[in-house]
Amino acid sequence: MAFSTFLRAPACKNLVFSQQMRKLTTQTSLQRPVASLLPATTHLFKELTTSTPIINSVRSLRTTPVMAGKPHDHSKLWVIEKGVAVLLVPLVPLGLLLPNKLFDAALAILITAHSFWGLEAIAIDYVRPSVVGPILPKIALGLVYLICIATLGGLFYIISHDVGIGNMIRQIWSIKSDRQKS
Amino acid sequence: MPLLRLTTGTFGQLRTFATSPALGKRVKTFAVYRWNPDEPDKKPHTQNYEVDLDDCAPMVLDALLKIKNEMDPTLTFRRSCREGVCGSCAMNIDGVNTLACISHIDTNLSKPSKIYPLPHMYVVKDLVPDLTNFYRQYQSIEPWLQRDKEAAKGKETQLLQDVEDRAKLDGLYECVLCACCSTSCPSYWWNGDKYLGPAVLMQAYRWIIDSRDDATEKRLSKLKDTYSVYRCHTIMNCTRTCPKGLNPGRAIAQIKTLLSGMVKKQPPIMDPAGLEKAAAH
Repeated sequence: MAFSTFLRAPACKNLVFSQQMRKLTTQTSLQRPVASLLPATTHLFKELTTSTPIINSVRSLRTTPVMAGKPHDHSKLWVIEKGVAVLLVPLVPLGLLLPNKLFDAALAILITAHSFWGLEAIAIDYVRPSVVGPILPKIALGLVYLICIATLGGLFYIISHDVGIGNMIRQIWSIKSDRQKS
Repeated sequence: MPLLRLTTGTFGQLRTFATSPALGKRVKTFAVYRWNPDEPDKKPHTQNYEVDLDDCAPMVLDALLKIKNEMDPTLTFRRSCREGVCGSCAMNIDGVNTLACISHIDTNLSKPSKIYPLPHMYVVKDLVPDLTNFYRQYQSIEPWLQRDKEAAKGKETQLLQDVEDRAKLDGLYECVLCACCSTSCPSYWWNGDKYLGPAVLMQAYRWIIDSRDDATEKRLSKLKDTYSVYRCHTIMNCTRTCPKGLNPGRAIAQIKTLLSGMVKKQPPIMDPAGLEKAAAH
């Protein structure tokens, strides 16, 4: 028995380690890490012997504690995202009513930022590493950056070398077919 | 082959006619998803069962029980309370995630009722999904009351809560964790390993706004990463499908406003530790 546990020990070690890491990343155990070490290991051995092999493949799924280990505060960005969306509501009609370079520049930046976050969400949701492998998601995200930089560049080209965004849309609106002209 | 396809319509009509109420029998077809882990070579398929509605109670769960009792004992599904308070019999009925025990059988006999397990979940067998990840996520939000000063054993005193503060928990605590909402959410389908999903987030919110809970800051700081909450794109499938009529979409939006810092949790109207302090004097 002792020998078999010894043999299994290295294999267990990874599990023990990851369990321990997960424990440490949750905040309660951060406050008293030493006290939680011992009971956790004994508890884990009980868990190991009773766990069924069939659903182990599912059990290996990682949940939020892993993310909590990589603290990335998204809450400020969320405020900015929503702020941009709210700003666009008055700015789009204003930019069309009074076309000028200031409104055009603001519109160009806000529209690009707004569509960047939308496209980024699509890339993250639909091009996932668990489905398409580790490389494609990076390419997809790179494409999103490329598209958005090109959009911003294009819009600013129209503003600086051409009539500007507001006037451009007005011109598109005033296009008449040959029949209407005659 | 095209000829055969043409005739199926006629045969279908013939069958509907033969089972029409005029002849006394209302037979409804149920197309049930079947998959058996003991037969790994066999692909999942749907199996049709015909149930006489006049000889069956009105709910979908009643029909499933009838099938299991009288036709096919191998049909596997979870059920317990048969009245919508346990959340065991959550499944996808005619394309909608709901509880089989509180959804009526569609009495339109011309087309079969399709019954599938909750979408985008690992299937254990037939209609039984693996909820391990779902429960583990629920565990990760620490769904219990947390006080800065834990009561000493044997000296616990009742915590006080104003009626108004208690009312904030209405529409949240009724959740039976059937996972209908989470499994109807595309974000949860795509990122179920990192996004917590509407059901768990609504419970997270339930503990965040509890006036007696002291761990609000800790709870919020655990949710502010890119995935846990912010994979919610507010498409509200969760609220639409909830068999208990709750609104997880709103709860997630409330979490987002709390996380932004623009809205703060109100201080408790009644000091939760009031009785303890009164006893100390």
